[in-house]
This record gives sequence, C-alpha cells and structure tokens, in this order.
Amino acid sequence: MQTIRSLGADLVAISPERPDNTLTMAEKHAIPIDILSDATSEVLKKYRLWFAVPAEVKTLYLEKFGLNLEKHNGAGRWELPVPATYVLDQDGIVRAGEADPDYTVRMEPAEIVAAIRSIVGGP
Amino acid sequence: MIGGTEMSLKGQLKEFDASRKRPPEVVAILRRGIDDVRESGAAGLRIGERAPDFALPNQRGETVRLSERLSRGPVVLSFYRGVW
Repeated sequence: MQTIRSLGADLVAISPERPDNTLTMAEKHAIPIDILSDATSEVLKKYRLWFAVPAEVKTLYLEKFGLNLEKHNGAGRWELPVPATYVLDQDGIVRAGEADPDYTVRMEPAEIVAAIRSIVGGP
Repeated sequence: MIGGTEMSLKGQLKEFDASRKRPPEVVAILRRGIDDVRESGAAGLRIGERAPDFALPNQRGETVRLSERLSRGPVVLSFYRGVW
C-alpha cells in the first residue's frame, strides 16, 4: 500500500456490497483507501467480471456457511465479481492485471509494484 | 503471517485454503462453481485495453470517478467479493 502510494499511484477497491452501515464515520475516515460500492453491478458488468452465483454454490453458502449474500449485496443479488486486480496507466490502459474465478489466486503485490514502476519509469 | 515472511501471496492463500480442511464434497461444489464461472466467459479486461470509466460511492458516500483519479497518477483497481 505505502509502496504503491510512494510511487504516485492510488489503490481503489470495488465490491458489489452495499455501503457498510456498521462502521462509524470516524472508522470510515480511518480507512486509507477508497472502498467503492457497485450496488447495481454496473461496473462489474462493464469490466466483464460479473457472474451469478451457481445454484449449488448458493445452497452451500446458505446451508453450510451461514452466508446470505442478500444481506451484504441487497435483495435478489446473488452475484459476485471474479476477483481481479488491474494496474492502469494514466491513460486508463490496463498495463498489468489478473482475474481468476478461483478466489484463492490473487495477483502478487510484487508484480503490482513492478507494473507501477514500469509506468512511472522509476528504478 | 502464515509460512513466514518470504512466502508469496499466492503461497499464503493456498496454505490458508488448505488449512480450512473442508470436507471433499464441499471442495467439489466450490471447484464446480469456479469451473462454471470460468466457462461463463467472465474473463475481465485484456492487457492493453482501456478500462471503462465509472463513478461509484466510497465508504463515506463520496463519489469517486476513475478518470479523475487517473488524472493524478496510475491506479490499481482491486475487485473483491465482500468483507465476509
């Protein structure tokens, strides 16, 4: 995070969740990055990351994990993004990134930093 | 930190996932779910493609516009499923 900022880049997180009402305003101000709420999944779809949770997985979440996505996302919204990370240059061009439906796979922080360095021309 | 400071994020996530010791039938359902999504073609943006602009509210209800952020510097976008 600090490395990203020190290179002049910004980090923005996006989820389909409704804005969190459990945090106080002080707590919200203490969060060092912007956490955006895509409450209509419009952006998820534009980025081709949107999917409807398969029926079998929905049942598993509800019955085994006690996880009701509607509580987080809103009524009828059994939908999620493919977890993804994109490094954008100042023209908005994707210079590096990774999107994988396997939520245990994420882009390496070192790769993110390397991509930013190649954009800003640093060492 | 799981597995020491030298381990990659991918390594840490794999270890964490294994440490949950889920029953095989649960793992099978999750695997099939992942395969379904892969087949759905939700593959995200390609390298070299321009990221669509958007404006969304942040945790304080302020509107954040991607193009405005890009005017200040490179941006790392992270799409995640939720806090659960």
